[in-house]
Amino acid sequence: MKRALAPLAILALFALAASAPQLITVKYYIQLIILAMIWAIMAHGQNIIQGMTGYVSITQAGLMGVGAYASTLLSIRWGLPVWASMAAAPVITALFSVLVGYPSLRVKGHYFAIVTLAYNMVIFTVLVNYSSLTKGEAGISNIRRPEPIGGMLNFDDRTTYYYLVLITLAAMTALTALLMRSPVGRILRGVRQNEALASAYGVAVWKYKLFAFVMSAFYAGVAGALYAHYIGFINPETFGVAQSLDAILAVILGGSGTIFGPVLGAFAVVLLPEYLRIADSFRLIVYGLLLVVATIFMPKGALHALSLIWGFAARRLGGGKGTTR
Amino acid sequence: MIEVVQQIINGLTIGGVYALIALGLTTVFGILGISHFAHGSISMFGGYVAFTLVTGWGVPLPLAAAAAMAAGLVLGVAVERLAYRPVRDASPINAFIVALGLTMMAEGINLRLFGADQIVIPTGLQSVLRIGALTLPELRLYVIVASALLILAMTLFIQRSKTGYAIRALAQNRQAAILMGVDVSKITMLVFALSSALGSAAAIMVGALFAIAPGVGEGLAIKGFSVLILGGLGSIPGAIVGGLILGVTEALAAGFISSAYKDVIAFLVMIVVLLVRPEGLLGKAR
Repeated sequence: MKRALAPLAILALFALAASAPQLITVKYYIQLIILAMIWAIMAHGQNIIQGMTGYVSITQAGLMGVGAYASTLLSIRWGLPVWASMAAAPVITALFSVLVGYPSLRVKGHYFAIVTLAYNMVIFTVLVNYSSLTKGEAGISNIRRPEPIGGMLNFDDRTTYYYLVLITLAAMTALTALLMRSPVGRILRGVRQNEALASAYGVAVWKYKLFAFVMSAFYAGVAGALYAHYIGFINPETFGVAQSLDAILAVILGGSGTIFGPVLGAFAVVLLPEYLRIADSFRLIVYGLLLVVATIFMPKGALHALSLIWGFAARRLGGGKGTTR
Repeated sequence: MIEVVQQIINGLTIGGVYALIALGLTTVFGILGISHFAHGSISMFGGYVAFTLVTGWGVPLPLAAAAAMAAGLVLGVAVERLAYRPVRDASPINAFIVALGLTMMAEGINLRLFGADQIVIPTGLQSVLRIGALTLPELRLYVIVASALLILAMTLFIQRSKTGYAIRALAQNRQAAILMGVDVSKITMLVFALSSALGSAAAIMVGALFAIAPGVGEGLAIKGFSVLILGGLGSIPGAIVGGLILGVTEALAAGFISSAYKDVIAFLVMIVVLLVRPEGLLGKAR
């Protein structure tokens, strides 16, 4: 039953998202949704390395920074067309991530997390101190939006940019689904469940782990480029360790290793603080508590918890006939 | 040459602090196999407590330090009971995520209770010893001595006492130790208590030498784990040697290359070690 409904549900969700700019008149909400969608792309990447492969990386925001600065510098300093820089940024980020991933992936489990975290700090320190290139903490402003296409699509318009982000998010979600169902995705899950066994079966585990890490960086690069050219201003503050933790939070809250979980989690991470409107220090305490409690009580994420509740409700309402799982 | 010796002394001072943090992290890792990332931020609570006692209540520093370490003991037990024990049987990744959550909470609580301004713990130790061309501030000397004593005490406790045997037995072979009647819950609590007390001491040293501010605790935890990766996970000599190496590397990098990039250089050293010896300098090959 659920399987047949899934494509319809996805279609309905996409239709809803596509009509959102017409339905929502408050510009500020559109702004938030655009940011949440960009964060969803980043969380998708985090999900590949953290959810599928089981290696918690804490450098996703740093990598997003690499993408954002790459695209910005290519378009401003070297005068490339914005489209070209936005296309190049994810590739540059992915190449950069090989440098990060190769040594980091030599340690396992949560020690991998610490090494990647060190990398995030390195990226941050370089962004702050290499000011002849990055303008340091002051940041770079006046970053252009992409060039208009055929006189019709003017990306200076918020709604048009909304659709650009929405389509990119849809494409990246589809790519995640493809990856997850491919043989590679199966091997990555195998690495998560039992790396020693996978390796005993003759799988060159390190290649697949590196692939997962580079893919996650690619997503971060896409998100970084979309972010930089939307906001028009970047500084190192956005790409620190705290934001990498937000990406982890998004994956955990939504559901590790699922396709739509990270999207749900990213929306929660972006919208909840706006909704709660709480002081920054309280935000930290509440987030931390949420993370601890969520891990203890729903270790498989919100989507899983929701589907359990949904299954329970369906069984009750369907008189015991409906089997949802 | 004299400049090199000077920087090495500076490096040993901060290296001792790193070793104290790493010692706590490495014993926790040895027993539970979890990386207690919140260690730095929770330790900073101890530093803030000492600062408040000294400046607000006029308590002498040694007493304030003892009180802060006692607070660390209690906090360590609480964190273990409330946060880590419920995820003890889940995958290690879950414990790490709990640790991240605890870090955010500890940072947030420190921020609410003690504010965002950076604080320096007043020690009154102003005089400077001069040996030839070397300058040695009295404060640094005390810090080196204090950290050496604490490291020695902890090492002796783990290597010589009966409880220490139990700790090492658990780290070596959990099942066998349990069969021999080692009380896992008690030992785990004790290890968390001692680690947090050592952390408080380290935080006071940081607060006296430099300053305590939001984010310093996280930085210290990252340094602590870098030390573990350098020295070998779960290894006690590794934590001490690694701490000193990281401290000296940083001081030399700050003195001779660039102080803005000293952390970057320290991390690069760690990454190079990782490439050559993934098990760390003193770790066992696994």
